[in-house]
Amino acid sequence: MELFKKTWDPILALSMIAVLDIFMFLTVGAWTVGGGETMMTGLIAQQVLGDDLARIPFWNLVFEPDPTYWKIYISLGMLFGAIVGAVLSKEFYWRFPRHLSEWVMITIGGLLMGIGIRLAFVCNVSTFFGLTPEMNLGGYLAMSGIIAGAWVGSLIYKKILEG
Amino acid sequence: MSPIGQCIVAFFFGSIVGLLVQRSRFCNTAALRDAMLFKTYRNTKALLVAMMILTLGFTTFLTFGEGNPLHFDVGLNQVMGLFLFGIGMVLAGACTVSTWVKAGEGNVGAIWALLFTFIGMFLFSLLWSFSYWPPAPGTMTGEPNLSGLQLGYTNAATLQEKFGIPAILFGLVQFAVLLGIFRAIRHKEQRTEQAASARMTAAAEQRTVAD
Repeated sequence: MELFKKTWDPILALSMIAVLDIFMFLTVGAWTVGGGETMMTGLIAQQVLGDDLARIPFWNLVFEPDPTYWKIYISLGMLFGAIVGAVLSKEFYWRFPRHLSEWVMITIGGLLMGIGIRLAFVCNVSTFFGLTPEMNLGGYLAMSGIIAGAWVGSLIYKKILEG
Repeated sequence: MSPIGQCIVAFFFGSIVGLLVQRSRFCNTAALRDAMLFKTYRNTKALLVAMMILTLGFTTFLTFGEGNPLHFDVGLNQVMGLFLFGIGMVLAGACTVSTWVKAGEGNVGAIWALLFTFIGMFLFSLLWSFSYWPPAPGTMTGEPNLSGLQLGYTNAATLQEKFGIPAILFGLVQFAVLLGIFRAIRHKEQRTEQAASARMTAAAEQRTVAD
């Protein structure tokens, strides 16, 4: 298929996502990822810990594990859509970080993302594709945080790249 | 809509997003990092265009009381949380979207990042169970809560209610600001392109002289 041979224009792709996101906003809620990931964390923890999970107040008061929470399925959908795109364009292959430093950076980065999302109640997607377009004050607070964070992160990244 | 119906709509939406992001190589991390580190704006421009469309779309529907906006109190925790998130996404080389999309391409680093995002969330759930901060959604009132370092709930719809000005007008102001940033980036790119082509011409002329 010719369509899958070249990279699509990101402005066009993001415009299409924006129109679909307006449809989501009207029917269920705007695009978000962090909430679904938290629910997945809760469901996995429930598998491991069983009823003991209920002894951690967070999982009663903030997120009660529920497999029918719609936000989970956005993430699973993105994984599925990406597999389809990668296979059709012959871009699917296993790739591994090469250096130990990469593994360390990814580990710390992942932890910071998980903690940050829960502290803020939002991820980057709800910030840019939900809160800010709704003109929620939280969107501007979150944007100032993520821009400052990305700047600090870039300084660290540059230092590590340069050796 | 029933919960199952919502899940089906969400999966369908996610699938199209995953395909579009995979094929366009859009990355939210790159939209911020590349602009700061490499002064390239491919992803930044796409993000700005999406935000312009969404601002007009959301505020138009909010004007008529339609839509499902996110509803919770906000405050210092958004700044702190996204600050940590911002550092994390640059170190991991992926945000919430691109971890899923890169995982779908077979990127083991992205799967590793996802795994530790889950672990980070679980660690936070333990911490929260001691601190009880930020306040749980059940205790939020929508009003400023200074002891909880929170400012309450404000968006285009509450502004309309408070000032009697249609939400879409606030949306148009935000649209104009985003458009201004977009145009400033375009100008900057054009200047860089012109400077590059001027250097090429000068180099070509020098070669001609040397011949």
